[in-house]
Amino acid sequence: MRWPAFSAALLALPACAGAEPLSAENAWIREAPPGAPVMAGYLRLHNHSGQPIRCSRASGADFGAIELHRTLLEGGTSRMLRDQTVEVPAGGSAELGPGGYHLMLLGPQRPLAAGDTVRVTLHCDGHDLAVDFTVRSAP
Amino acid sequence: MSRTETAPNPASRSALIVLVAALALIAGLLAAVFLYAPKSVAIESGTLLQTPRPLPAFTLTDENGAPLTPEQLRGQWTLIFPGFTYCPDVCPTTLGLLKTVEAALGERAERLQVLLLSVDPERDTPETMKRYVQYFSPRFKGATAAEPELRRVAQALGVAYVRVPGETAGSYTMDHSAALVLIDPDAAIAGYFMPPLRVDALVADLGRLLDSRS
Repeated sequence: MRWPAFSAALLALPACAGAEPLSAENAWIREAPPGAPVMAGYLRLHNHSGQPIRCSRASGADFGAIELHRTLLEGGTSRMLRDQTVEVPAGGSAELGPGGYHLMLLGPQRPLAAGDTVRVTLHCDGHDLAVDFTVRSAP
Repeated sequence: MSRTETAPNPASRSALIVLVAALALIAGLLAAVFLYAPKSVAIESGTLLQTPRPLPAFTLTDENGAPLTPEQLRGQWTLIFPGFTYCPDVCPTTLGLLKTVEAALGERAERLQVLLLSVDPERDTPETMKRYVQYFSPRFKGATAAEPELRRVAQALGVAYVRVPGETAGSYTMDHSAALVLIDPDAAIAGYFMPPLRVDALVADLGRLLDSRS
């Protein structure tokens, strides 16, 4: 009985070698008008490791798809850039906020109102960070 | 000693009369400008056109499926925000900000209308627009038109937009002008508010405009 437990611990080792390198703060989703096909998620990411960590993918059962987008105000035009990567500097942090980088949450699978909590997992350079986002009605 | 002082010749006398008449004309024009020109208002968060530009005739479809023409914009101020409902970040941020501005203006906001001009008529039906704008304020309106009418209206308003393809046919997005277009009570373009938009600056500017003319 000891052997399986030991191998399970071995498998889990890479994930818990030292403290988690990445943490999230102030994760929130903007409440959308009823029936809105897309929502936006925001958060601040902290990197506790000595290496930069890049995040470019996210997933969650409550949405049809999640993409990382960036709103860019350029020459008086509001543009949306797809397939973005957020780099969290070593020992530093990165902000996803209104008018900048955001998680584009497509096709909500259930009605989401202010006060609800939604779990989304960010995939960042081999680290999976599960984050509970709170739905809020205003910034 | 000088001859001109004692005996001006007829030529210089008529020149003097012309000069006096010209000065009187200029004074009159200046007085007219000051007396009859609308009170000049300066705004901090945008640009007012020196001469408002009247809108050409057009017909949009509003959030109730009813026609919307420039005639219906007369008698109040209108802020036009180009956007679309399939836009989770900047559009709700802007409409949320305008809701705060509307609340801060109090009663004066009754003479101000906020209009979402959807640059995405393919996905934005009247029902979609109505649900979207009324989530922010029951007074907000939405309107759009099928092409090529939308392109013509947008050009008249100084609004640019372009469709950016997505992974699938339905997941395209729209890049669009971020400025708000200000329409005066004569249905003419009065100016533009430029991003980044700030609640306090917009409240101050719109408050002055609403006070200057209703």
